[in-house]
Amino acid sequence: MFLVADDGQLDWSPPPGMDAGILIRDSNLPALIRRATSPGPPLAVDIDSVAGLDSDDAAVDFVTGRLGIRVVLTRRPQLAILVAGLGHLCLLHVLAFDSTGLDRALQSHPRRPGVGTVISPGLVLSHLRTGELATLPRPILAYGLIDTPEAARDILTRADGVAIRPDTAARIAASERGLLFASR
Amino acid sequence: MERRATKQTMSGSRPDAQGFLARLVASPCCAAITTEDRLDSALASRAEILFILRGNGLNLTPVVRQIHEAGKLVAAHLDLIAGLRADRAGIAWLGRSGVDAIISSHGQLMPAIRSEGMTAIQRLLLVRRSQLGTALGAISHSAPDILEVLPGVILPDVIHMMPRFGLPLLAGGFVRTEAEVRAIFAAGAVGVTTSWEPLWGLERG
Repeated sequence: MFLVADDGQLDWSPPPGMDAGILIRDSNLPALIRRATSPGPPLAVDIDSVAGLDSDDAAVDFVTGRLGIRVVLTRRPQLAILVAGLGHLCLLHVLAFDSTGLDRALQSHPRRPGVGTVISPGLVLSHLRTGELATLPRPILAYGLIDTPEAARDILTRADGVAIRPDTAARIAASERGLLFASR
Repeated sequence: MERRATKQTMSGSRPDAQGFLARLVASPCCAAITTEDRLDSALASRAEILFILRGNGLNLTPVVRQIHEAGKLVAAHLDLIAGLRADRAGIAWLGRSGVDAIISSHGQLMPAIRSEGMTAIQRLLLVRRSQLGTALGAISHSAPDILEVLPGVILPDVIHMMPRFGLPLLAGGFVRTEAEVRAIFAAGAVGVTTSWEPLWGLERG
């Protein structure tokens, strides 16, 4: 599925007919609360990038319990274990700049049920070998520098989710409508 | 006395940034080595510039000497090699070890690298589009001689998003086929760093 990255400041929703959730990132606590308590598509949150929110037990309890957000992204393996232990899905950020760095980053992955992977930049996923892809704990979210519908669709064949910007989501929706009309 | 002569010999053989860049343009596929057991392969390859991305920074002098004796240049990654802090003293140490260029993600170190007479290569990690705009200001301020972008394999896909840095571009990371190298050159990079041995020394074509 697509996750549309948003800072939570706008009442943005996916275009009609598009199966997408919203990824709150680079936000702040009031905006996160407002977004989570408003009707809309399912939310995920990049917990390390919410100003005013710590990355600890209390913050996880607040986000998953009080706000009801079931998908949490973090750079911290211990936090990922905590979220998974509560029965939610956590996606651990893994930076993939070169093969050696990817190997090293994966060494700190807890590799347990409920903890998947955010691969950054997501665009690199198209260039990973099958063996490399197999080492990434699923589910996999591709995140970063994916700005065309073609790239997003291509990467979605390898990942379980793709994070995109609102403008890219709009172009995907528009192109899908075009495909629909063309097939009639 | 002997130590000073050694240093003078190494400094004398060190090209300035223009000289380093000229070698890069002439031989654009550089060998990135992360373990010492790859050194012999890199020395035997057609690559004219070796990038040392791991290893013991406190024991680099003999490795650098070997590389220079093979007629090649050497760049060391200050942030990744062990034993050295990414600061002025670490830079000075690498200078005394004889390296020709230093790579770092720390823009504030670029002037110090240049003032030590080495070529300054700044790494730009491509993560998100929103970071590219802020990178332009930072890199304009740090003024490296060369900008290395990672992961280099996606450079052709993102070059249209990148601001014009006005610097020679190197690309490294997940570059493993000749087609990828050609696409990176077509996107405007002057060189590629790769640990994929068959590509070491590949010509621009």
